[in-house]
Amino acid sequence: MESFDALLSGIALATQPINLLYALIGVTLGTAVGVLPGIGPALTVALLLPVTFKLDPAGSLIMFAGIYYGGMYGGSTSSILLNTPGESASMITALEGNKMARAGRGGPALATAAIGSFVAGSIATALLAFVAPAIVEVALSFGPADYFALMVLAFTTVSSAFGGSMLRGLTALFIGLCLGLVGIDLQTGQARLAYGVPDLLDGVEVTTAAVGMFALGETLFVASQLSRSQETIEAVRGSVWMTAKDWSRSWKPWLRGTALGFPIGALPAGGAEIPTFLSYSMEKQLSKHPEEFGHGAIEGVAGPEAANNASAAGTIVPLLTLGLPTTATAAMMLAGFQQYGLNPGPLLFTTNPDLVWGLIASLFVANTMLLVLNLPLIGVWVRMLSIPRPWLYGGILVFATLGTLGANPSQFELSMLAGLGFLGFLMRYFDYPVAPVIIGLILGPLAEQQLRRALAISQGDPAALVETGLSIGIYVICALVLLGPLAMRALRRKKAGSDIRPAFED
Amino acid sequence: MTSQDEGKSRARPDKAVLVIAVVLVGIAALVAWDAAHLSARVSTYSRVGAAAFPYTVAGALAILSLVTAIAAFRGTFPERAPLEIGPLGWVAGGLFLQIAILPFVGFSIATGLMFALVARGFGGKPLWASIPAGIVLSFVLYVLFSKGLQLSLPQGPLERLI
Amino acid sequence: MGVLTRFATGFLVAAAMAAPALAQELTIIAPAGPGGGWDQTARSLQTALQTEGLAKNVQVVNVPGAGGTIGLAQFVSQHKGNPNTLIVGGYVMVGAIATNASPVTLDQVTPVARLTGEYEAIVVPTSSPIKTIGDLVAQLKADPGTVSWGGGSAGGTDHITVGLIAKAAGVDPTKINYIPFSGGGEALAAIVGGKVTAGISGWGEFEQQVKAGKLRVIAVSAPERIAGIDAPTLKESGLDVEVQNWRGVWAAPGLTDEQKAGLIALVEKVNASKSWTDTLATKGWANTFLAGDAFGTVLKDEIAKTNVVLKDIGLIK
Repeated sequence: MESFDALLSGIALATQPINLLYALIGVTLGTAVGVLPGIGPALTVALLLPVTFKLDPAGSLIMFAGIYYGGMYGGSTSSILLNTPGESASMITALEGNKMARAGRGGPALATAAIGSFVAGSIATALLAFVAPAIVEVALSFGPADYFALMVLAFTTVSSAFGGSMLRGLTALFIGLCLGLVGIDLQTGQARLAYGVPDLLDGVEVTTAAVGMFALGETLFVASQLSRSQETIEAVRGSVWMTAKDWSRSWKPWLRGTALGFPIGALPAGGAEIPTFLSYSMEKQLSKHPEEFGHGAIEGVAGPEAANNASAAGTIVPLLTLGLPTTATAAMMLAGFQQYGLNPGPLLFTTNPDLVWGLIASLFVANTMLLVLNLPLIGVWVRMLSIPRPWLYGGILVFATLGTLGANPSQFELSMLAGLGFLGFLMRYFDYPVAPVIIGLILGPLAEQQLRRALAISQGDPAALVETGLSIGIYVICALVLLGPLAMRALRRKKAGSDIRPAFED
Repeated sequence: MTSQDEGKSRARPDKAVLVIAVVLVGIAALVAWDAAHLSARVSTYSRVGAAAFPYTVAGALAILSLVTAIAAFRGTFPERAPLEIGPLGWVAGGLFLQIAILPFVGFSIATGLMFALVARGFGGKPLWASIPAGIVLSFVLYVLFSKGLQLSLPQGPLERLI
Repeated sequence: MGVLTRFATGFLVAAAMAAPALAQELTIIAPAGPGGGWDQTARSLQTALQTEGLAKNVQVVNVPGAGGTIGLAQFVSQHKGNPNTLIVGGYVMVGAIATNASPVTLDQVTPVARLTGEYEAIVVPTSSPIKTIGDLVAQLKADPGTVSWGGGSAGGTDHITVGLIAKAAGVDPTKINYIPFSGGGEALAAIVGGKVTAGISGWGEFEQQVKAGKLRVIAVSAPERIAGIDAPTLKESGLDVEVQNWRGVWAAPGLTDEQKAGLIALVEKVNASKSWTDTLATKGWANTFLAGDAFGTVLKDEIAKTNVVLKDIGLIK
């Protein structure tokens, strides 16, 4: 129990009053900046790095931890309330969360997100403390072929975000894949679909697309149906707190989200988005109320939010144990370490154990602090929705454009945001789902690059794609995901007898 | 698809959906055209090159376009309510105005005007009230950004005052 | 929210208030998003200029996109003749200008100084049968396809260096099996995990892994051996390759000689200052300062060489 003692002394370090103050400042700043769409935790840490220069290493790292987790809380808050995903990983949260908020259930949505983040963050941090070295060995054995298999798995589950029609869902997905092609092809350095426009060489920014299609698209759509839509946003309907039913529907998704998020987050190219996609479709499959999905199902907030937070703790595994920054935020944390001449990596645990454990402990502290601060604030946050509609929608658009311009102050980027907003509006009007566009935009380039990388390393031999146990295992899961529901349905039909009509007619 | 649709007598083919089908096949053509003009001189040992994914996407979009066209003739798309051009115009106008004047008048004025037009679209207060309110709100955000985060948003006459 | 942000700003404003007043107002363009290498260079310059009292008000403006070429194009078109603006950039820009067929090039701006630099290191996993750069070159000569190189984006410094190595070894540069990765961490994971034959990147990316015994460094691209790195240079291994991934700063086109000299003197003062030295130390950047026309001459030569190797690899026509 050497780690346990070390963790206790870390907690002692992190709970010194001055360090608690740093944590408080960190979570406050992180939340405040994190609510801006387009400005996620990575940029928040980057911008606030200079603030921490004056602090001692422990205080500074503790503040980072606070900013990091605070940024994520802020991101999910704006996703739920304003439908403006603060970062790509909270896009899925917006799907169900914003529907809940518009139905007066913003309180429970924020609560399940906050508590789910806390639960997931705590479990994942504990895992980080005790099983990091074991996890990292597995993570390193993932090669391009295994990542490609993982992307295939993510694609097989994507139909859960399709809504009513397979045709419209697939069309949306392929529009997203098409947007994902824009820009320089990483493997050959050639520009695709840029048509000589230099601003397109870097491709379509995911947050610009998500904010455009979600926030602007929705605003335009509501405006186009103004007098007809009887949708009056109610800030609170029923309890602002989670009911017993909400709790019983939330706790399993929290745990399942954590189980997906932590290991995938620990993979060097796993990222935070894929576990949220997987969690969402898993919850939809397992839910007793699949018909509520798309209209504000609490499981669809609880699972992905937990997955998002657990993956954040997961990314710290390769950072601390190997010095591998696998996400933009982790890269900024690395910069934070380096400004004190500390180099995360295999040696850090032996050279600076107190600092490592202090950081792990401060993740716990930041997480707890956010929960304590945020729960009472939920009542205040949801009141934002009772702002009169003209001001609310005006404000949402100010926020959306501010976030986009903050990250890239160019007229072109703003035009792109508006253009994607119109696309989102038209898609809504013709009853196309918009989430598959963003999913395609994120997954398409990842899948393509990993596939081509795997084939280049094997010098074109396709057998390399199914050479490892990992990739075979993932393909087996894909097959189960695809065939499982069919088999279940067949079984159910057998049981129910012959008077029931075949299920695929609906 | 659903009983609601069947009950409606709607012009077939659904012209707007046909337009979608045409747009989709147009996108497919653009993507395929672009892929055909990729000239990978850099060697890669992967048999799947830079053009493979674009061709796949183009092919899929072409098929989806065909299915969409069939859906247009069968009238299986859900019923749509007519658009309210007034409110939509105000919101869209606000966004266009912001893009157009941003480089000349700076963040605060452009965004403030956008806010006012959007609020007007949603039936808000008269413009003389919401324009100043929007500009003040945007200016406060600008100050927070430039002083607090050292991030440079586009400047105009107002921003240069500070 | 209001209270939070007010608190936040108060805190930040207080943190930023240490600057004494002085004459010049400066704008530094970082042709990249906040947080990246060029942005950090620009912000470090800003800090040094302000804390040393060399300029009154220094603003950093981010113009991200397309390997810095969007920022460069905007700089040339909007700031011609303006002596109060600088743009930060680096060797990656040289490659990006060529591969993106950028209409604006570095010939159109005024070189002020090269500031920092980093040499490339070539590594293999410790368990690899390849022990020396000689072994790697031997395998490369025998069958270039079997040597997969993991590094940064296509056409970047890492890719260019591999092209130069192949050429120097007498191997057809179009036959190299270069595997680009998008982020440093992802490439490093693939190298440590033995997914590629060899890795190539700035020494800083590999330092910790080499010290921890996970990677073996087999060569560096420096002109002579670097203290603390137990590896030969490419040159002494018989490969005439020397690559430095540098960052530098330029002024606008159309300046008078006087204005140009003033800016060079200003950056020279920064380079001599304590706060700059401290920044370099904390960030682990090596000082490879080279000012004015000397930088311009080296740069011209480098651009020509780079364009040749990019052609050889097949990235540009």
